[in-house]
Amino acid sequence: MKRRSLLAMPAALGLGAALTTRAQAQEKRTLAFVVNVSADFWTICRRGIDKANREHTDFNMEMIVPGQASAAEQRRIVDELLARKVAGIAISPINPANSTEMLNRVASQAVLFTSDSDAPNSNRAVYIGTDNVAAGREAGKQMKRALPNGGKAMLFVGTMDADNARERVQGIREELQGGNINIVDIRTDESDIARAQRNVEDTLARYADINLLVGLWAYNTPQIYQAVKGAGREGKVKIVGFDEDGLTLRGVAEGVIESTVVQQPFEFGYQSMVGMVKYLNNDRGFIPANKQIIIPTRIIDKSNVSEFQGQMRDLLRGR
Amino acid sequence: MSKKELGLALLLIVIGGITAALNPLFLSGVNLLNMANLIGLFGVFSIGQGLIIITGGIDLSVGSMFALLGVIFIDLLVNYELAWPLALLVVLVMGLVMGLLHGLLVTRLKLQPFVVTLCGLLIYRGIARYYTNDGTMGFGYAGNLDTLTWLAAGRSFGVPHPFIILMVVAVAMWVLLHRSVFGRYLYAVGRNEEAARHSGINTNAVIAGAYLIGGGLAGLSTVLLVFYTSSVSPSSFGNFYELYAIAAAVLGGCSLRGGEGSILGIVLGTVLLQILQNLVNILGIPSSLNFAVMGSVILLGVIADQQLGRRKQAKALNRSQAVAVPAE
Amino acid sequence: MTALLELDGISKTYPGVRALDGVSLALNAGEVLGLIGENGAGKSTLMKVLGGVVPPSGGEIRLNGRSYDRLTVTEAQAAGIAFVHQELNLFDNLDVAGNILFGREPLKGGPLRLVDRKAAAEQVAPLLRRLGADFTPWTSVAELSIAQRQLVEIAKALATEARIIILDEPTSSLTLSETARLLTVLGELRASGTALIYISHRLGEIIDCADRVVCLRDGKLAGALAREDISHANMIRLMIGRDLRALYTPPARPPGEGGLAISGLITSAFPQQEVDLRIRPGEIVGLAGLVGSGRTSLARALFGIDPPMGGSITLDGAVLRVRAPRDAVAAGLYLVPEDRKKDGLVLDMPIAENITLADLPHYASAGLVDRGAERRAAEGQGKSLRIKAPGVEVIAGTLSGGNQQKVVLGKWLSMAPRIILFDEPTRGIDVGAKGEIYTLMRALADKGVGILMISSDMEEVIGVSDRIVVMHEGRISGTLQRDAFSEKAVLRLAIGQDGEAAET
Repeated sequence: MKRRSLLAMPAALGLGAALTTRAQAQEKRTLAFVVNVSADFWTICRRGIDKANREHTDFNMEMIVPGQASAAEQRRIVDELLARKVAGIAISPINPANSTEMLNRVASQAVLFTSDSDAPNSNRAVYIGTDNVAAGREAGKQMKRALPNGGKAMLFVGTMDADNARERVQGIREELQGGNINIVDIRTDESDIARAQRNVEDTLARYADINLLVGLWAYNTPQIYQAVKGAGREGKVKIVGFDEDGLTLRGVAEGVIESTVVQQPFEFGYQSMVGMVKYLNNDRGFIPANKQIIIPTRIIDKSNVSEFQGQMRDLLRGR
Repeated sequence: MSKKELGLALLLIVIGGITAALNPLFLSGVNLLNMANLIGLFGVFSIGQGLIIITGGIDLSVGSMFALLGVIFIDLLVNYELAWPLALLVVLVMGLVMGLLHGLLVTRLKLQPFVVTLCGLLIYRGIARYYTNDGTMGFGYAGNLDTLTWLAAGRSFGVPHPFIILMVVAVAMWVLLHRSVFGRYLYAVGRNEEAARHSGINTNAVIAGAYLIGGGLAGLSTVLLVFYTSSVSPSSFGNFYELYAIAAAVLGGCSLRGGEGSILGIVLGTVLLQILQNLVNILGIPSSLNFAVMGSVILLGVIADQQLGRRKQAKALNRSQAVAVPAE
Repeated sequence: MTALLELDGISKTYPGVRALDGVSLALNAGEVLGLIGENGAGKSTLMKVLGGVVPPSGGEIRLNGRSYDRLTVTEAQAAGIAFVHQELNLFDNLDVAGNILFGREPLKGGPLRLVDRKAAAEQVAPLLRRLGADFTPWTSVAELSIAQRQLVEIAKALATEARIIILDEPTSSLTLSETARLLTVLGELRASGTALIYISHRLGEIIDCADRVVCLRDGKLAGALAREDISHANMIRLMIGRDLRALYTPPARPPGEGGLAISGLITSAFPQQEVDLRIRPGEIVGLAGLVGSGRTSLARALFGIDPPMGGSITLDGAVLRVRAPRDAVAAGLYLVPEDRKKDGLVLDMPIAENITLADLPHYASAGLVDRGAERRAAEGQGKSLRIKAPGVEVIAGTLSGGNQQKVVLGKWLSMAPRIILFDEPTRGIDVGAKGEIYTLMRALADKGVGILMISSDMEEVIGVSDRIVVMHEGRISGTLQRDAFSEKAVLRLAIGQDGEAAET
């Protein structure tokens, strides 16, 4: 599984590690994938990057995770990468609307792709990832399927200042437009997992008539699952989620969770890296006119969950 | 119950009363039990923080300790498939060792507690992220942990176990702080370390002892928190929890200068903090105002306490002058 | 000649208590008025009225021919009233000139408002010369001794061209020679027409410098003494309303064998010097010397606060290794420290908890404190020491200085003392309580406890000790037996003129 030996840490901390990376960087060009926060989602993405790296061994490909999910931290990482003169950066920008200047600086010095979260106003070469509004619409469809006769729904997410949260909500609202499902509120938890669960508990306590809970971020859905089970309201309260946390999939398999909308982070990592290699070799034919390569989402429900669980186990094994 | 605790209890009742008036569901059994659970989770390590604050120190590292001990705990259970009593023991011992380390750095090397534990905050968080390669650790595909899950997150007679554990810890710590020799030394050292040393007390051992206990309670809290969330994301798990603990201790009457505070106060402080978070959800106040509500009430509480304290002091002064002058 | 300052029927009532009750006095230019009275007699309230800090409830203040119901701080300062406090109010991160001219610094550079350090030094230097100071305006206050800081305080008062200077226990931290110099300075100030109010518990100084003495008791004027009537006996009678019996009580029996023997002891403050000293059971050894002569360093080394760097200590023949105070405490060697608020007591804790603090495990079983036993022990000590407090649960910080000192004593007396080191045991304590402390020390000695008493109060050293040991620059410069006691002999040893005066 994904853990490192703590005994190896002093060595990693030592100069040796730093020197070898630097030596490699001098011979090979480096492509970096900067994510927004640490999550299993990105571990799967890392598998895609690894696969691309196996196919293109003349590149040094790395994934960088900021310590804090803040735009400032991400900016620092990007500045350091530019100082190291990396050839290309794929990034999941935390605050795309206000990072245009930073992104354009990257674009002027290296190849810039966006992934997972787009920054259409920047000079990025291409966006590879999910269309979050479309993903929201998919979730909206699942919500309608869970509540054919309508009802009250509550959404849960980390923060609403993240674009993917806003876009998913927008997609859900578009899909539910004119229907009989009413979104009561959106509760945020500032990425505090314990608060994510208490938000659900408090919602269940406050609304005896709530019918549907939706988790927009990867960790929200398992916390909904736990809180609903803890309150003994499984079945009475439906759950629709996003992403493929282990507990989420278990919930789908048990039938407590209706379905979950999963993205394909493996493809994010793989296609971004391969795309950057192509771009650096002046092969730009793969970029469509609208500069967006949309990786479609999948719906995981009871029918395909066991097969998907197997895939995930394989992907996450031996990390 | 001292005046300070009484005041805090009054504040609790007022805030609870207002919330219940606005939405009676606040007093529903489900909600109260949910809150009891969270009070248990946050109270245990707040007591540890309180003990450290009473010595005049502070522990900023607890949140990061949760992340590091949390990933190690899950790793031991899920990947090493260690028997759960052993894994539990390892985490508790590691918590104690970390606390002792802080204590020794503070007492032997005379480093400032703020600096020592700030470095702990950074180091433990970093190690946790490196250890997991920045991935979330969870019980996702784990085997049979039913006994431990029941112990840490189950309920008996409807009461959540974390709350029961808090009560046990609080009673034990109450005896320790308010009735034992060690507790008396803790106050003496916090109020006047020099005078305590002049009385032949091994002040270093007393201070290190407080950090040791704080570390042990952080280890215990780790287990409870891990079973609450079922997964640990090393970069965000426990972020800011040290500040909740400090806030609870300060609300409960601990002075950051040391020498003041009580277990009952700290527990009441924790209760107030949890009520504040709960009422944001129960009253449907926008989540974004969560921190603002918490900060405002703490500020008001501290101001009220300060003002009452000043009036009490003025009264005491008048009284002591009244006594002192004719006496001589 | 009209008085510079007149108080007429000043009263001050706090809820439930009359702190001042119709006090009238007058102060003329060029005179030193000695103000005496026990702690709580109303001296400090009276001074606060003069400083404008506390408004009087009744009476009239006449200053420079103007009459006031009450003074404000600004009015008091404008009228030339300055204070030199017992607790020094200096910024030790600034230099001497910066302190003396604080808030009135000469400026240069126009709108930049830079401090003109040269002009400041020029203003301050003559003041320092006048006071005979051995430091410059540039010296950092942190480097000054307490006596030197006291001079800075006085220079501060002079810099404001004060016409009335009120000195509150100015010598409590000074050594004998420093006190003598201060008194000379005061004499010069008087000659130049400054009026002085001199508050002190040290009656010898009052005799030396006061032109007139006024005594307060229970907020009222207890009486006044003209120059020719000023004497110890008269002042004590005014203060406590009765005669004080002779200070010295001889020991009940000659000192016993054993006790504390120190040889070749090296303290961290004086690594070059070795100290040999003997304290026998049943005797009171006075330890005199200038401040900084190594007396407190010796006590701190013996008690393990700053563990000794060399030499040997034996107690009743057994070697005693002191690495921390707890080693000394375990052996029955106790210290009653100089600064009881900082080192002796936990001020925020009740009397009872302070008394049992050093011996708490004795009152505990299985680690839990038996609060009944604790209370009984504390009440026992409170009774035998006659601590004036409504009960043992009273917070120690609210007690008077003398009673606080008794609590510190009670802490040690509840255990099994063999040797007690007293460092300035009666500093800031009023005459009545002083007598009680001396009686206690003698009673302890008669029970077989060896006592070392560090003191800068000459009357105390000569009046209480069975034997006087004098230190100078970290070493013992001589020992005096009772029949050789005299202020002169002690002083000569203290300033290092040993030789014929020493006899061991």
